[in-house]
Amino acid sequence: MPRRIEGDWHPGSIPDNVRLHETAYVESAVSFEPFRSELPDAVDLGEGAAVYCGSQLDAGPRGRISIGRCVILNGCLIIADELVEIGDYALVAWLVVIMDNERSARDIHARRALLREAAAHPERRLTRVGPGPARPVRIGRAAWIGFETCILPGVTIGEGSIVGARSVVIDDIPPWSIAAGNPARIIRSIEPGAPQHA
Amino acid sequence: MTANAPGHWTDGPLPPNASVGPGTIISGSHAFKRFRSTHPRALTVGANSTLDGAHLSLGPRGRLVVGDWCLISGAQIMAEEEVRIGSYVAIGWNAAIADSDFHPLDPAQRIEDAIACSMIGAGRPRPPVEHRPVVIEDDVWIGPCATILKGVRIGAGSIVEAGALVTRDVPARSRVAGNPARVVGPVEAGEA
Repeated sequence: MPRRIEGDWHPGSIPDNVRLHETAYVESAVSFEPFRSELPDAVDLGEGAAVYCGSQLDAGPRGRISIGRCVILNGCLIIADELVEIGDYALVAWLVVIMDNERSARDIHARRALLREAAAHPERRLTRVGPGPARPVRIGRAAWIGFETCILPGVTIGEGSIVGARSVVIDDIPPWSIAAGNPARIIRSIEPGAPQHA
Repeated sequence: MTANAPGHWTDGPLPPNASVGPGTIISGSHAFKRFRSTHPRALTVGANSTLDGAHLSLGPRGRLVVGDWCLISGAQIMAEEEVRIGSYVAIGWNAAIADSDFHPLDPAQRIEDAIACSMIGAGRPRPPVEHRPVVIEDDVWIGPCATILKGVRIGAGSIVEAGALVTRDVPARSRVAGNPARVVGPVEAGEA
């Protein structure tokens, strides 16, 4: 029985291997258009988490996406060939790209072969997991990712950190810091503060 | 030739001044939303290329040429004059390529332009806007969220890293990154 979203303008449904908390929200199944993970527990969407329209969950055949409690994904692209993990209360702005795999080849001849392969594929995607292994990306609890930021393979963003808009994050960001720029650099650290809620 | 795969929810007609080679697919509801070019050959795409979710924003005289075996997903291509893309070019999600600044840099001219473009413009002519063609040679890889500005030529085999903002020419077989983009190294043969 395909899980359709009530009133969804997109004809798709939510794949069976997506575990949704009963309070989690997916605005449209269009977010799963590029999704093709074959893992039994490919996506976990936590309590109160929201995936708004425009977000794309592009999980490869062995890709897993874990989205924590009260996370907001507001129009970002997630490419997961192994693992993208977004901690509880993290906020991800529009046009952010989070990828654990570049899905391309840096060698010209290998890239030509990939492009020929993509053209032969019915969905025209770089389906083969890239020549190198994917490197998991982890976004810490209560982190905040500014709009149009790119988070590249292998990066871990620590708990509570803020990444400024349009940053390109190529190295880990430690917890409780503010980072920005292209490439992103740490600007200063912040106080964790005392939680008022949760 | 397949354009806007039939039955797909984004199905739509191909403009008459677009020519698309065998095995090429153009899909996405926004592909031709801002396609205003009256150039007789406004869009020319070679064989076996994919323009998936790309925005092809062409001004009245704009022209876009794309070669063979390209994979362009969700990028914005804005041509007032000409954007020329070679073969085996891969362009990532949310990348932007523009051959124009779209409005004059001079403040007084820009006010004139704002009025001409406005609801009260009443057909008033726009001041001249600078545009210079963009050329992306064969085997270039442009990462997601990268931006290529007017007049730039990207040499064959180069890699534009994710989020790079390219304002100047990129020599062949080099890697550029950052804002503004700078050469950070060569593309090594056989690099994985």
